Amino acid sequence: MADNMRFIGQDVLRREDEYLLRGQGRFVDDLVVPTDTLHLGFVLSPHAHARIAAIDVAQAAALDGVVAVLTGDDIAEFVQPIVAEIEFPGYIRHGRDVVARDIVRFVGEAVAVAVCESAYVAQDAIELVDVDYEILPAAVRLETATDPGMPQVHAEIDNNLIFEGRFTTDGVDAAFAGAPHVLKERFRSGRVGGVPIEPRGCLAIPEHGDSLLFYSSTQVPHLLRTALAQYTGADESKIRVVVPEVGGGFGTKAQIYPEEFVTFALARHFRQPVKWMQDRREELLTDIHARDHLYEVEVAFDDDGVVQGLRAEIWTNGGAYSTLPFGCTLETTGGARMIVGPYRITEYAYVARAVATHTAPAGAYRGVAQPTCFMAIEGMMDRIARALKLDPAEVRLRNMVPTAELPWTNVVGVRYDTGSFVESLQRAMTMIDYSGFRTRQPADRLVDGKYRGIGICSFTEVSGTGAPGWRARGLVRMPGFDSGIVKVEPTGKVTAYVSHAHAGQGHYTTFAQVVADALGADLEDVNIIEGDTAATPYGTNTFASRSAVTGGGALLRAGDKVKQKIRRIAADMLEAAVEDVVVEGGRAYVAGVAQHGLSFKQVAETAYAMNNQSLPEGETFGLEDTDFYDPPLVTMANAVHIAQVAVDAADCRVEIERYVVVHDCGRIINPTIVDGQIQGGIAQGIGEALMEEMVYDDMGQFQNATLLDYLLPTSEDLPNFEIEHIESPSIDNVGGFKGVGEGGLIGAVPAVLNGVADALCDLGVNINRKPLKPSVILKLMREARERQT
Amino acid sequence: MTGKTEVSVTVNGRKRHAMVEPRMLLVDFLRHELGMTGTHIGCEHGVCGACTVLLDGRTARSCLHFAVAVDGAEIETVEGMAGRDQLHPIQEAFHQHHALQCGYCTAGFLMTTVELLKRDPDPDEADIRRALTNNVCRCTGYANIIKAVAAAAAAIRAQS
Amino acid sequence: MKPAPFDFRAPPDLAGVLDLLAEYGEDSRVLAGGQSLVPLMNLRMVQPAMLISINRCDDLDTIARQDDRLICGARVRQAAAEESELVQQDCPLLAAALPYVGGQANRNRGTVCGSLAHADPLAELPAVALALDAEMHVATRSGRRRIAARDFFVGELDTALQPGEFLEAVAFQRQDADERCAFLELGNRRHGFAVAGLALRLGVQSGRCVMASVAVMGGGATARRISAVEAALEGTLIDEIAVAAAVAALSEAVVPPVDVHADAEYRRHALGVLLERALRSEEER
Repeated sequence: MADNMRFIGQDVLRREDEYLLRGQGRFVDDLVVPTDTLHLGFVLSPHAHARIAAIDVAQAAALDGVVAVLTGDDIAEFVQPIVAEIEFPGYIRHGRDVVARDIVRFVGEAVAVAVCESAYVAQDAIELVDVDYEILPAAVRLETATDPGMPQVHAEIDNNLIFEGRFTTDGVDAAFAGAPHVLKERFRSGRVGGVPIEPRGCLAIPEHGDSLLFYSSTQVPHLLRTALAQYTGADESKIRVVVPEVGGGFGTKAQIYPEEFVTFALARHFRQPVKWMQDRREELLTDIHARDHLYEVEVAFDDDGVVQGLRAEIWTNGGAYSTLPFGCTLETTGGARMIVGPYRITEYAYVARAVATHTAPAGAYRGVAQPTCFMAIEGMMDRIARALKLDPAEVRLRNMVPTAELPWTNVVGVRYDTGSFVESLQRAMTMIDYSGFRTRQPADRLVDGKYRGIGICSFTEVSGTGAPGWRARGLVRMPGFDSGIVKVEPTGKVTAYVSHAHAGQGHYTTFAQVVADALGADLEDVNIIEGDTAATPYGTNTFASRSAVTGGGALLRAGDKVKQKIRRIAADMLEAAVEDVVVEGGRAYVAGVAQHGLSFKQVAETAYAMNNQSLPEGETFGLEDTDFYDPPLVTMANAVHIAQVAVDAADCRVEIERYVVVHDCGRIINPTIVDGQIQGGIAQGIGEALMEEMVYDDMGQFQNATLLDYLLPTSEDLPNFEIEHIESPSIDNVGGFKGVGEGGLIGAVPAVLNGVADALCDLGVNINRKPLKPSVILKLMREARERQT
Repeated sequence: MTGKTEVSVTVNGRKRHAMVEPRMLLVDFLRHELGMTGTHIGCEHGVCGACTVLLDGRTARSCLHFAVAVDGAEIETVEGMAGRDQLHPIQEAFHQHHALQCGYCTAGFLMTTVELLKRDPDPDEADIRRALTNNVCRCTGYANIIKAVAAAAAAIRAQS
Repeated sequence: MKPAPFDFRAPPDLAGVLDLLAEYGEDSRVLAGGQSLVPLMNLRMVQPAMLISINRCDDLDTIARQDDRLICGARVRQAAAEESELVQQDCPLLAAALPYVGGQANRNRGTVCGSLAHADPLAELPAVALALDAEMHVATRSGRRRIAARDFFVGELDTALQPGEFLEAVAFQRQDADERCAFLELGNRRHGFAVAGLALRLGVQSGRCVMASVAVMGGGATARRISAVEAALEGTLIDEIAVAAAVAALSEAVVPPVDVHADAEYRRHALGVLLERALRSEEER
């Protein structure tokens, strides 16, 4: 497949750029809407847990420009309660009304919707809806929500324990009993959100018959379409979902949200276009949250620092509802399964629990539990090193699976087909002059009023998850495959359709590179179409670092099929043997006799019966083919991040002074785009490590629902990044690609935390939580000082 | 009481007017009244910078202005930067350096860069990071944006 | 978030502004740069029925010396103040603080007086006004009065301005040529919202401190002058002992607020750090 790679691996500049730079890219709110479009405004609950005693919509409905105000009971006639379809032992299903009917379960849950003639009036209308709440006590904290007597979020979920999963190898107790050393630690991660700069929105336009055109700022057009049909009763074949430009997804837009169902249903009901745009406050309140996690981890290790056994008790806060389509167990099972990382840990036991609370529902945000599980295991690696007075990098090297032993299946059954755990760590250490830094580093770490440390994260990144991988996580209705259609048009140009949707990753460019190589076409002649369910084949769509693996794989296969057809037709036209026909650069020619060949256009004209040439015997008309790709279980990438940090001894602020990455995502399609993904992920990771946190008070009141109070990192908070690549092509999948979308974020959180821990280790400061705001660091430093006296 | 009034502004050199409510934000005026959707909304509280335009030659948060309050002003938006066939040097530099991914925040960065380079034609990395610190990007991590701005500065200096 | 409906006027001069304020009083708000007000309006935390824009009032746009004071009219943009030679010469403390106020896009439109009238407890300019013993020039249709900065900042987002009153100008004390001054702030991000900040002026003769003016943000419900710190510095040689005493006095005097960004303990500590840095000669302008 793709024997001569002219374009895969090249730094092709992006074709997306020009129209985005000119301001011509159309995001949902940029779409020109019909003049009779109705605008929605949602009334949001100000309480974390309450019974809706009464809703009076009369005043709101009477406002000029308001068409209707609907309650949860009204909406329930159009939309069934949504249910995350997880089948997993220990998981308790529960449903969610898309607009609350009886009980509200988190601040920000919708209780009514105003349908208005303008977005401005919608904001006026929602203020006039009078809701009578009976406030109920709320269970907010991960640590206490499952205690006896706590208010239950759902009647069917006892003690708010939505899910509990267990696993153990047979020898883990013996490993702990027999090991000379055991260390235990508790890691606490604060809640964060993806916070894309474009908030969510959608636009539903009824068309002929019962058809409806649905634009949404989504990462999952096909999954969305199926869900819309499933929960509203509409015919799936009459729904077209189109993804316009999307201003950042990061997993938050891979969920399917209540507002999408409501917008869709009301467009059908009113037979008018209906639009909804979220504002930033709503985005922070209601887009999925993530990483409200607690890990209690124990490692047993020998005198050389080699881990003999690992135990983990993992708690994840799932919020008030299990979200579509991943449910709230994705983080739970993700952390539990990914924590062993690149290490040879063969005795392992975990208990992993997802807890319901009266807070915003959790979901898939870039990294999905890997930032937190690596925070834990990488934090333990450093603790082992400190306990034994070994170097932390050395401890990791002693624990890693050597490349020569790959393929290797880890203790939970995840296969690492290829990789470069040891090589990437060694290379990263060279890049940052690790040994030089250690040599110069004073015992007290203090130089020029700053504590300086170096933090490592060596990790694996799960990517390209196929159906078996989703089943292993309990997601029984997640397809897993993706699809591609490659077509040569009558004029010889190439159109390729793929079941993905972009949100900034450059698919139009990278998929074109893949198709051009698969087919033997010129890059300029290839056009990619995605994000349109009327045009593109069905697939699992775009999240969890999958598009290169599944989309690339499907396009390689489909492209190859078309290439073979080109060869057959050309052979016939050239009176040559098929084996002698080479397809390259948009031409098919006899090997060694380049001038004896045909352009794609000439071949296509035969395929489309537009000349006097007949098709070869048995050949069908047209010049296109479809293929699918479902990768095996998962495709594991790996990387190492090393951060050199400086903690100001006086004001406790953290600066990242140097940051190096060695990344292995298998065969790289476009190195610059890969680097861009890594850089963006690192930025989010540094934000998460140092300043981002969604804060609820004990009553479940969200404290920081604006960007004044939820701080995102800016250009002055981030360093330059030094990134190098190793390519260990996957041997398990078509194309050899591995995903890279999440790696930047996964590595940054532990690297920064470990850097701060290293910087402050002489003070006895224990870094086991995030974010490390300056006030947190001060507190930890003072506690350490008190412990020492 | 809050009937519509006429607003006249010059946008990218062209006189434009419309009848709007006083509360219509300048960003909505540009986007929905004038159909110029290149400028985007990210927060409506002046923090993210996605809505940045030039107002009488200086950057302004168009989400924090009412159209009626800037009646008579000269506004420049991203749509005015490129020529028909050629991108502005700053835009070209963003393209060459992969300084955009989703593109949603990009117009704001372009406008801020225009102002920066007018004021300081040869900024160093720290100057650039300082100038861009009030534009938030969630996709790129800024490193390529910084490089693009430096390259744009060099290209513009070379032109003059 | 879209603001609630309001009526809008843009009078051409101060008299027009004062007439409207007299008519609409508490139902109105003044729109200067809007960088503090409009976010609140967009969030619907503030819903004036009448918005009175001063942006056509050229008579409010002056920066001028008057005896021992430098006066900024209500429409003086923060960027204009930052770029003003008069400000740089006469009030270097103000010039030092201005780059911390928001971003360039905010300063291009936001006004000096607007920030003062808004009185955000963690904003820079109220602390500067306190340190420079500013006088607020307040006008109504029926008369004028002056309010000392010390009496102006009453609480969080609350000033001594009564309904119908308009802050037409602020008069900063002109600093002596041989004064040392510094403005420092810290936040959870390199640039952006302050968690704590400090504005300091020192008059030094023959190594001895003859005048100290110290104001902080993050030490109370509003920006505050800390006289205990000033007392701890005045008369001393600003040596290690004096600095320690000043930091201790600061620590004792402040009642820092608690929010999602920082607890009281950190703010107290940070203010001490800022004071120490400000007193060290490397940090001064």
